Amino acid sequence: YIISDSECFILKKSISVTHMFFFAGGHQTCFSLFFSSQESKSFAVNMFKGQIATSQVFPFPKALNEEQEQFLRELVGPVSKFFEEVNDPAKNDALEKVEDHTMEGLKEMGAFGLQVPGDLGGLGLSNTQYARLVEIVGSHDLGVGITLGAHQSIGFKGILLFGNKAQKEKYLPKLATGENIAAFCLTEPASGSDAASIKTTAVLSPCGQYYTMNGSKIWISNGGLAEIFTVFAKTPVKDPNTGEVKDKITAFIVERSFGGVSHGPPEKKMGIKASNTAEVYFDNVRVPADCVLGEVGGGFKVAMNILNNGRFGMAAALSGTMKGVISKAVDHAANRTQFGNKIHTYGAIQEKVARMAMLHYVTESMAYMISGNMDSGAAEFQIEAAISKIFASEAAWTVTDESIQVMGGMGFMKDCGVERVMRDLRIFRIFEGTNDILRLFVALNGFQNAGNHLKSLQKALKNPIGNAGLLAGEITKRAKRKAGFSSGLTLQGSVHPELAQSGDLTVKAIEEFGAVIEELLVKHGKKIIDEQFVLKRVADCAIDLYAMVVVLSRASRSLSQGAASAQHEKMLCETWCLEAYDRILHDIKFLRSGQSKQTFKNMRAISAAMVENGGVVSPHPLGF
Amino acid sequence: MRVSRCLQRLQDLRLLRCSWQTARVLQPEPHGPRAARSNPQQHRVVRGFHCSPVFAKDPRLPGRLVGEDDKKRQTSLVAHDDLFEQIAMGAKSKATFAKVIDVFNKRDIRRRGHVEFIYAALRKMPEFGVERDLGVYNRLLDVFPKEVFVPTNFIQRMFNHYPRQQECGVQLLEQMENYGITPNVETKVLLVQIFGEKSHPMRKYQRLMYWFPKFKHLNPFPVPQQLPEDPVDLARFSLTRIANDLDAKVTVHQLPCSDVTESGEEIHRPYILGIQSPGQRELLAKHDPSRPVFVEGPFPLWLRSTCVHYYVLRADPPLPQDQVEEAYDPERSFYFPLQLDFSLDRDVWDEEGFDVEDLDEGPVYAMCMAGRGDQATLGQWISDLQRDNPVLGRVPTLFRLDPGPQHLQGGGDEESEPRHRLHVETEEDQAVLDEEPRRGRGKL
Repeated sequence: YIISDSECFILKKSISVTHMFFFAGGHQTCFSLFFSSQESKSFAVNMFKGQIATSQVFPFPKALNEEQEQFLRELVGPVSKFFEEVNDPAKNDALEKVEDHTMEGLKEMGAFGLQVPGDLGGLGLSNTQYARLVEIVGSHDLGVGITLGAHQSIGFKGILLFGNKAQKEKYLPKLATGENIAAFCLTEPASGSDAASIKTTAVLSPCGQYYTMNGSKIWISNGGLAEIFTVFAKTPVKDPNTGEVKDKITAFIVERSFGGVSHGPPEKKMGIKASNTAEVYFDNVRVPADCVLGEVGGGFKVAMNILNNGRFGMAAALSGTMKGVISKAVDHAANRTQFGNKIHTYGAIQEKVARMAMLHYVTESMAYMISGNMDSGAAEFQIEAAISKIFASEAAWTVTDESIQVMGGMGFMKDCGVERVMRDLRIFRIFEGTNDILRLFVALNGFQNAGNHLKSLQKALKNPIGNAGLLAGEITKRAKRKAGFSSGLTLQGSVHPELAQSGDLTVKAIEEFGAVIEELLVKHGKKIIDEQFVLKRVADCAIDLYAMVVVLSRASRSLSQGAASAQHEKMLCETWCLEAYDRILHDIKFLRSGQSKQTFKNMRAISAAMVENGGVVSPHPLGF
Repeated sequence: MRVSRCLQRLQDLRLLRCSWQTARVLQPEPHGPRAARSNPQQHRVVRGFHCSPVFAKDPRLPGRLVGEDDKKRQTSLVAHDDLFEQIAMGAKSKATFAKVIDVFNKRDIRRRGHVEFIYAALRKMPEFGVERDLGVYNRLLDVFPKEVFVPTNFIQRMFNHYPRQQECGVQLLEQMENYGITPNVETKVLLVQIFGEKSHPMRKYQRLMYWFPKFKHLNPFPVPQQLPEDPVDLARFSLTRIANDLDAKVTVHQLPCSDVTESGEEIHRPYILGIQSPGQRELLAKHDPSRPVFVEGPFPLWLRSTCVHYYVLRADPPLPQDQVEEAYDPERSFYFPLQLDFSLDRDVWDEEGFDVEDLDEGPVYAMCMAGRGDQATLGQWISDLQRDNPVLGRVPTLFRLDPGPQHLQGGGDEESEPRHRLHVETEEDQAVLDEEPRRGRGKL
């Protein structure tokens, strides 16, 4: 039939018009800080491009020098002893606060200033050393862990990272001794991850000497105890280029003594009851202009960096938690007799125990891999840190759940102590960015990097002669991929020869993953951001891939050092790699198939129907 | 080859003239082709194929025959045409067509003149509305005497055995091909019986059967043979055909009906059918109310031999300075980016789906078909659209209607909708455009 001048069938490119304009801005966002550098060394960044960057992951980082190691050894003993003998997690949980003598003891040990430089009264620990100690805390009492973490991992981390000399000297000594407790005030009733809906305001006085702060923050850990707050508030900032006045976020150090700072009663919570969580109100608080943390209007960057820097600690703490509950479960499995046999002789229990061991091994490896990378000065660890937070919180949940299962009815009883751990753990999948949101972070950062890479290839295509080498390489890679050959990537030389098979699986998975990322980019372009069903699966693959590489690295180190546990670690690594490879390939296959489209469509429709119905749609099978 | 065969056919017709001149239509002929074999002219008919070169230089072969033959051919065909006319007696249907074939079959055991009859029948088929009926083609093929034309020895097989008949068979298959009728096994059996396994018609049949199944579903958007009769259904069909969006919703804004007003006047309300997709609704919601939207049309849409007309609601493309979307705040989300910062160039073949609504020439917001193309009718469409698209209430609407064919059919002018009285002539619209929005907004 004839198409008249009908507008309906004109072939056009829809992408171009709307999306070009963002490019013009040229503002390097905080997110793009991570992917600004041309050749990233981060393994996670590179795997999205289908490339392998081994420098950060192989060999497993050895972040401690002799002196640091010695110092850490001296610390580990007393800290462990303290938690075994002084701290009573059950009592803390029942009291819904950390007992006073425990707090005093922690302060004496210097646990409140682990990373504060020595000359400012702290222990001056590196990230790896910090992780090791946090692991001990995590294995005994997560409530105390949160109290400490909210204090130093996020509470005054802003001062450590962004504070000027005067601020550091003024606040850190008292914070390091625990005389002052710190809290991190970001979340508001209307603002979880949406910075734009922050309502707390700080307005500069006409004299320019102080800000007047108004607003309230909710669910602030240590909110009822803290003296020093890192508060994020909106301040009117004049754009130097356009002269437009815009509300931007600024970070402030607020002392309770400024006046006008008050807090609500401690919140009743499911877990981490020992830690204090409260609302904090700011009512015409006069904050001196000196107390601005970082730049005026630069609060977003401050918040991002604090959060990114704190995540690895969570993985470390949770690996400790897992270790703790695993030992209880294994103890039970080894001693409980049923039908004349110890229950550990039954396959059902063996599988549980083995899986717990693998999950713990991966989490621990991730935590120390990332802390090691951070200590060696790596700038790009954000994807890895987010992966470690997601993985650790979920693995710890699974491990604790299975521990209770192994212990049966015993595990369900309060006396056993695992029940409390389970309650404590639940929040880890939620706070500091829910796992769902961090999955988006992982996937989208990966896509951004892969997109930049693809974009540079397209640029290179415009000048094929000048970039002949690059293009030839990329074309060969794609041709090989199409033909089903390995594209020449390899982990040989990095991975211990005994783990060559697992290494090959990892390489294969990375190749497939890189290919599917590129397909998705070509298919969706920038609109991939709206495909959360896809993003979730991509993030799952990324997490599994990173986990594979991390255990490969650690097991390789053990094998080459001839450690006593080397063969055991080899088994952990091989089993993990096999299963992870299957999961990754399954997800990739699903994403490529037409089935996924239908599935996602169904899920969208089901959800829409439920929302419309205000709950379950299907009628009761009995009809009433 | 083809030319010589044509000549041959003409001469053959001439040969048969004498008998047909006297022949009455429904009377059996006194002699068939075989009876005429003694006639020397009959030899000429097949000359060039079967005859000795002695006859090749017959001085009577000639240009002059051509004109003569035309006349004769007419008469001969007229005879068959008459047969159709007489039997059909005005009522032209499949039944009468079949009856004509029956009558011809029974008229003469030798089926004399069957080639001419078939040619005539093929020409008459569209008239009787059976041009797409496979059964009729098979029946027509059945008119050929069986086995007579099947070559029985290698010489016959080597040369073109009974070329006129084969030609006629091919012609019949060709007509089937033109109408897109796939032969069936009955056709094949008939062809084998009539012409044998390796005849030209059989080859033609084989070619048809090779290609037809291949091309059968080539068109992903086939127009049905039988278009809906009801204009509303036809409009629904056409609109969904243009808007290739499964989410698009066709709305019947008004069914055709006639009312009698109090003053006794009879008012015919034309049908109005609109289509709008969720995407278009979204685009329209984002439309800047200070800029007008246009109702344009009619645009033709051909569905086989039917032409229908549709109207679009569209706007001019946004000015370049307005095109900047709401600025993305990079410091919005603490945990994950809300926007990716790359734009990949795309090649034509990468395009998964192109936007058919938000175009460079300006977005298209909705489409409609109406029984009448006047402003009142279309104004009603717009006011009805307003229920789903409240923004239309604030946007000045300009009508840029060409006097299309629908105007000619249209009844008397009705009072236009009070909301949409801004009728701007097509030629002037650019001139008035600037002041229209203001005026429109003021009144709305």
